[in-house]
Amino acid sequence: MAEDNQNMLSFLSNDGKTIDVPRDVAERSLLIKNMLDDIGPVTEAIPIPNVSENVLNKVLEWCTHHRSDPPSTGDEDDSRRKTTDIEEWDQKFMQVDQEMLFEIILAANYLDIKPLLDIGCKTVANMIKGKSPEEIRKTFNIQNDFTPEEEDQIRRENEWAEDR
Amino acid sequence: MAPRDQVTVPSNRRRPSLSFRSRPRNATVSAIPTTAGSGLGHDIRDGLSLVDSGDAMEEPVLEDVNHFPEPAHRPRGAKSFSSLCHPVDGLRALGRRLSVTIRNKSSRTFNYVHQDEPELEPQGVKGHNSISAVQGFSITLPIPGNRLEPPKFPSDLYSGAAARAAAAAQNDVARKMEQMKLTQDSESGIGIVLQDHSDVSDSESGSDLIQVDPVAFFPTEIMSQVLSYLDPESLMNSELVSRAWSEQASSQHIWRHVFRHCYGQHRPAGTRTKKQASAGVGKSVFNQNWKKLFIVRRTLESRWKEGKAAAIYLQGHTDSVYCAQFDEDKIITGSRDRTIRVWDAHYPWPCRKIIGPPSADVSDSGPVEDPEQQSTGKSPFLTIRPPPTRSAEIVNPNERPTMYHSASILCLQFDDEIMVTGSSDFSCIVWDIKNDYRAIRRLQGHTAGVLDVCFDDRYIVSCSKDHTISVWDRHTGALVKKLLGHRGPVNAVQLRGDLIVSASGDGVAKLWNVTSGLCVKEFASKDRGLACVEFSEDARTVLTGGNDQAIYQFDANTGELVKEIEGHSGLVRSLHLDSSNQRIISGSYDMSVKVFDSQSGELSIDFPGWTTSWMLSVKSDYRRIVATSQDSRTVIMDFGYGIDGIDLLEE
Repeated sequence: MAEDNQNMLSFLSNDGKTIDVPRDVAERSLLIKNMLDDIGPVTEAIPIPNVSENVLNKVLEWCTHHRSDPPSTGDEDDSRRKTTDIEEWDQKFMQVDQEMLFEIILAANYLDIKPLLDIGCKTVANMIKGKSPEEIRKTFNIQNDFTPEEEDQIRRENEWAEDR
Repeated sequence: MAPRDQVTVPSNRRRPSLSFRSRPRNATVSAIPTTAGSGLGHDIRDGLSLVDSGDAMEEPVLEDVNHFPEPAHRPRGAKSFSSLCHPVDGLRALGRRLSVTIRNKSSRTFNYVHQDEPELEPQGVKGHNSISAVQGFSITLPIPGNRLEPPKFPSDLYSGAAARAAAAAQNDVARKMEQMKLTQDSESGIGIVLQDHSDVSDSESGSDLIQVDPVAFFPTEIMSQVLSYLDPESLMNSELVSRAWSEQASSQHIWRHVFRHCYGQHRPAGTRTKKQASAGVGKSVFNQNWKKLFIVRRTLESRWKEGKAAAIYLQGHTDSVYCAQFDEDKIITGSRDRTIRVWDAHYPWPCRKIIGPPSADVSDSGPVEDPEQQSTGKSPFLTIRPPPTRSAEIVNPNERPTMYHSASILCLQFDDEIMVTGSSDFSCIVWDIKNDYRAIRRLQGHTAGVLDVCFDDRYIVSCSKDHTISVWDRHTGALVKKLLGHRGPVNAVQLRGDLIVSASGDGVAKLWNVTSGLCVKEFASKDRGLACVEFSEDARTVLTGGNDQAIYQFDANTGELVKEIEGHSGLVRSLHLDSSNQRIISGSYDMSVKVFDSQSGELSIDFPGWTTSWMLSVKSDYRRIVATSQDSRTVIMDFGYGIDGIDLLEE
C-alpha cells in the first residue's frame, strides 16, 4: 500500500484492535465521512464501538473493493426490486456463516454503508426465498411456536380468495 | 417527402413499394407467410418431436455416468451442500489457513482461472475428493484448488470468469469453506448455512451449525428490508415460520413493496400522451391494506388465466355500437343510433346520460336477444342483464342540444377533460367532459365519414373514409395538417408523441411524423384491407388487424414483421394492447373476443359468441374487457366480478 500517511486513518474495534484504513476506503461509511467532515483531521484511532475486529476487517474488505464506486444515485427503487441482482464479487463476499453475515449487516447499518446493507439484506432474503415455512425454520433453527389453530388461521387468511 | 407520391400502392398488391424498405430482408417479410403455410407448421412439429426424443435419450445417459442416488438434483448441483457436514468434521483441524475447493460442473471456468493463477493461493489445500464425491456430480472433473482467504483478493480474477449462475454455484461452495475457516477462528463449531432452496430432502438441521434467527437478531427496520425483497409466496411462507416472523412479515409496509413489485405502481401523471386504462394497483392511501390488495389481485389474475369472467350486458342503444372507452368510473359508447351513452361502470351499471339528437328522434330500447353460446371457448360464469335505463329518466325533453351528430357515431376517445367523437356526418365534435359533456366545437373538413379519432395534449388526429388523416390543434380546433398517401379509407389511427400510425382499407399501415407530415414507414398486410391498428405506449410496436384474419405485430423502428398471430376466423375489427399485463385483446367479425399473450402470441382466452353479431370495438384494463357489438349491446367481460375486495384495486 502506497497510501500517504495523511490519507490513512485508523479504526479501533470493540475488541481493542487497531486497523489502518485508507481514508477513501473509510469514507465508504457515511457515518465516518460525515464525522470527518465535521471534525476535520483525526490522528487518533477512531473507535467503532459496535463492531469487532474480524467483522470490521470484512467490512473494510468490501469498502476496499468498492472504494472507487460512484456514489449512490439515490435511485434505489429499481435496484431494490431485483433480489437476485447481486454482483458476482459481492455474492462471493457474502459467502460467510450466518453470524458473520448478520454482523456485517449490522455493521453496515451502523456505519451507514447503504450498498453493503442492501447486499446483505438481499443475501438474507435469498436464504428465505422459495422455501417452505419448515425449511425456513431449519435454515435458521427456529422453533415453531404457533398453536395448530394459529397456523391454520394464517394459512386460511393467505389462501383466502385464492384460485380454487 | 418526394418519394411518397411516387409510391403507388394498388390495393391488391401483395406488398407496397419497397422504396421505404431499404433493407432487403424486409422484402421477405410478406413472402414468408405465403411460402410457409402449412409446411411451416409441419416443420415445427417435427422439430419439436426431435427435441423430445433427444431429451429422452440424453437423460439416462447422464444418469448412468452419475452413479448417485438423487439424480433429480443433478441440474442444481451447486445446491447440495449439506452433505458437507460430514467432511467438515475432518477438515476442522486444518485450522484457519485451510483452503478447500469443491468442484462442480457449473463452475468449471472458475477453476481454470484458479489453475492459471496458483500463486494467489499460497496456502491452498486441494483435492477434497470426498466432498465432491458425496455431491454426486463432479466425478468427471478435476479437483483443483480454490482459495478461501478472501481479503485483498483482486477482483479481476473473477470478472468475466463465468456466467452468473456458475458464479453463484461457486460462491455457494466458497461460502461453505469460508465458513469453516471462520468457525475455526472462534472454535465454536462448524457452521453451514442451508441456503439451497430446493433440497428439502437433505436439509437436516445439523447440531453444530451456527444458526441465528434473523428476526430475533436484527432490528425491525433491517428485517423489514430483508423481507421486502421477497416474492409474495415466500413472504406468506415467512408468516408461518413463527409468531415473531408472522408479526414482521405481515407488515403493510413490506406488503406494499411486494405488491408494487408484482403489479407496478401509479404511473406519474402528465407523462402520458393518451389516457391510460387503470392499472388496478389501488390507491396510495395511508391505511391501505396492501396484503389484501395482493390477495385480491392474485385472485383476479387467476381468473384471467382460466378465462373466468362474468358478462354484464349494457342495453340501450338501438343499433350497432361502434365504439367504446372506459375508466373506473364510466363507460362511454357510441352507436349507429346517433347517440353517445355514458354508463356507470359500477353496479347496477345504469345509463347516466344520452348525448345525441333531440330525444324524440331516438327510440327507447333496442333489440335484445339472448346470446347463443358457441360450443367451444369460454362462456360467462354469470350473466347479468341490467334493465335498460329509460331515456325519459335521463333526458330532459326541454333541453335542446345545440350540437350533435346527425349520423352514426363511429369513434370516440376521452381523457379527463375532453371527449372527441367522429361520425358518419363527416365531422368530429369535441365535448367538455368536466362540464356535463357540453359540445365545445365541431371539427369540419373531412369529405366522408370520420372512421377513427385519437388525441394527446397537443393534437387531435382524425382519419376518414375520404382517404385522409387530419391533424387538429386540440386547444383551438384549427386544422394543423392533412396527411395524404393512403389509397383507401383510413380505418384506424393512433398517436404517440410525434408519431402517428394509421391503417387503411388499402391493406397498408403507415407511420407518419406529425411535425413533417410525411410518411416514414409502411407496414404491409398480406392481401387485404386493414381495419384496426394499435400502437404500444413506448411507440415501438405496431399491431394491425383486418381482413386477413391475422394480427400482425411490427417493430416500429425497423418496420419488420415480428409476429403473425392467428386465431380468428373473421375480419379482425378491433385491437387493444395492454402492455403492462402483456395482453392483446382482439374483437372480430367471427363474433369472438380473444386474448393473446403479447410476448408469445399464444391464445390465452377465447370468448366466442358472447354477443350475437360482429364485435366492433374492444378495450380492456386490469380487470375487464369492454366489447361492443353490432347487436346493439355492449358487454363488460368482468374478471373481477364477485371477488371480495375487488374495489380495493381501483385507483
